[in-house]
Amino acid sequence: MKTEATTTAATTTMTPEGEKFRDRVLVLAGAEVKTCIQCGTCSASCPTASLMDVPIRKLVKLVLEGEKVEALASRSIWLCTSCLLCTVRCPRKIRPMAVVAALKTIYEEEGKRCKDSVFEGIFARQIRDYGRISEFLLSAEYMIRSPSSAAQIMAFGAELVPKGKIELGFEAARGERIEGIEEMKRIFELLGDDGREEGESEKAEETEEAEK
Amino acid sequence: MKLAYYPGCVARSTGREYEISTLAVCRALGIELAEIDNWNCCGATHVSNEVVSTALAARNLVRTDLPVMTSCSICYSRLRAAMIRLKDRHMRKRVNEALEKKYDGEKEVLHVIETITRALAGAEDQDPGDLIVRPLAGLKAAPYYGCLLTRPGGGIDSPENPSILEDLIRTLGAEPTDFRLKMKCCCGPIFMPEEEAAAETLIRILRNARASGADFVVALCPLCHLMLDANQPLLEKKLGEEIDLPILYVTQMAGLALGLAPEELGMEMNSVSTRPVLEKLEKIEGKKAEEEGAEVC
Repeated sequence: MKTEATTTAATTTMTPEGEKFRDRVLVLAGAEVKTCIQCGTCSASCPTASLMDVPIRKLVKLVLEGEKVEALASRSIWLCTSCLLCTVRCPRKIRPMAVVAALKTIYEEEGKRCKDSVFEGIFARQIRDYGRISEFLLSAEYMIRSPSSAAQIMAFGAELVPKGKIELGFEAARGERIEGIEEMKRIFELLGDDGREEGESEKAEETEEAEK
Repeated sequence: MKLAYYPGCVARSTGREYEISTLAVCRALGIELAEIDNWNCCGATHVSNEVVSTALAARNLVRTDLPVMTSCSICYSRLRAAMIRLKDRHMRKRVNEALEKKYDGEKEVLHVIETITRALAGAEDQDPGDLIVRPLAGLKAAPYYGCLLTRPGGGIDSPENPSILEDLIRTLGAEPTDFRLKMKCCCGPIFMPEEEAAAETLIRILRNARASGADFVVALCPLCHLMLDANQPLLEKKLGEEIDLPILYVTQMAGLALGLAPEELGMEMNSVSTRPVLEKLEKIEGKKAEEEGAEVC
């Protein structure tokens, strides 16, 4: 009885923004997230759990309670290595990694920034603009945008350049680029930027189906 | 056999020796590879929007009618995960809005370890000795799976305790070691912004591989390889600890057993010298030849 009362309280106190946030995550990561039983299998399986401020299990709880600020402030979403162990083990067939991915997406949509989101932004932009990743350009741009990473990147470069794995010089460093870049742009612009509306329309369809 | 080849971006830079050895091994096994025309990056683990990442994978899949082979576990996992998402008709409709050539159904996606395993199994029916001309007898290999080869599940092998790599190691004549951390994530996807976090895990993996008695570690993913090989001297410096454990790509190991020369497998491109592995193999072979010679006399 006590548990039920707590749950009800949490639902009634959810702000409209909290509700919107929860629904958006459910659209991005799957409505089955609602069926989470908080068993903690995801946290127990996570290879970087010991480094996280908020365990994955609790991150799911925060989402379902509409605790947007706390969820997005967690460092945990950037410590997920996308190894998918939580996802293959979840007894409710939820994809906790998809919840983390949804939180990253919302974080970026809200214009928030941290070194990790900067890295992901550079990565995505390179795919959109060139079709492929040049590890040289990726490292160089990240180093410029996040100067504290310079020592690490230079040390790695010193390993890789003599082996011919990273080539210096304009042509080589530019990397491979594909033809038909308009299609890449369309993938990001059509499917990425208007993802929010897609979420809403899909949700509307879902409601329609449920009503039927 | 003819397969479509999806190299992935890393094949053209930090994973060059993986591509070199993949092409050499496939040639030796009589597998023809046709590189997918104008393939694009799969997004790896860095595109959080699932509709976008699914479309990125789908764009590659629709560019060929052949089964698709890749050597990269991340690309492999991304292609397979996308096919699972694309079973949903909403997702298929969305993705196809952006694609020039429309996605219209699943296709066979293979990791290079599957291709090698199948080719060897097929040949065994005829003559097992035909292909494995230089068995790796006497060598001990730590089978490192990493995460994504077997995930998101339902594919190549068990996502909890696979054995396909141990089986291949045995087929090639070597001995797999009991490597407890064989499935532990290398943390490569967060390495760039979260170096400290990754280093701690990497050192545990390397120590465990060493303690298993391995002469070398076998890697199936270019990011795992980068983390364990190119990064190894940096970890050694950081911790003041000598590790000195060669990390071979699965295709380099298989290539040796198929009789290919180390130069054909890009083995000079590995950061941690692969010489000790080759020297041990030569020594064992020398001893064996001596014994056989003695018997003949």
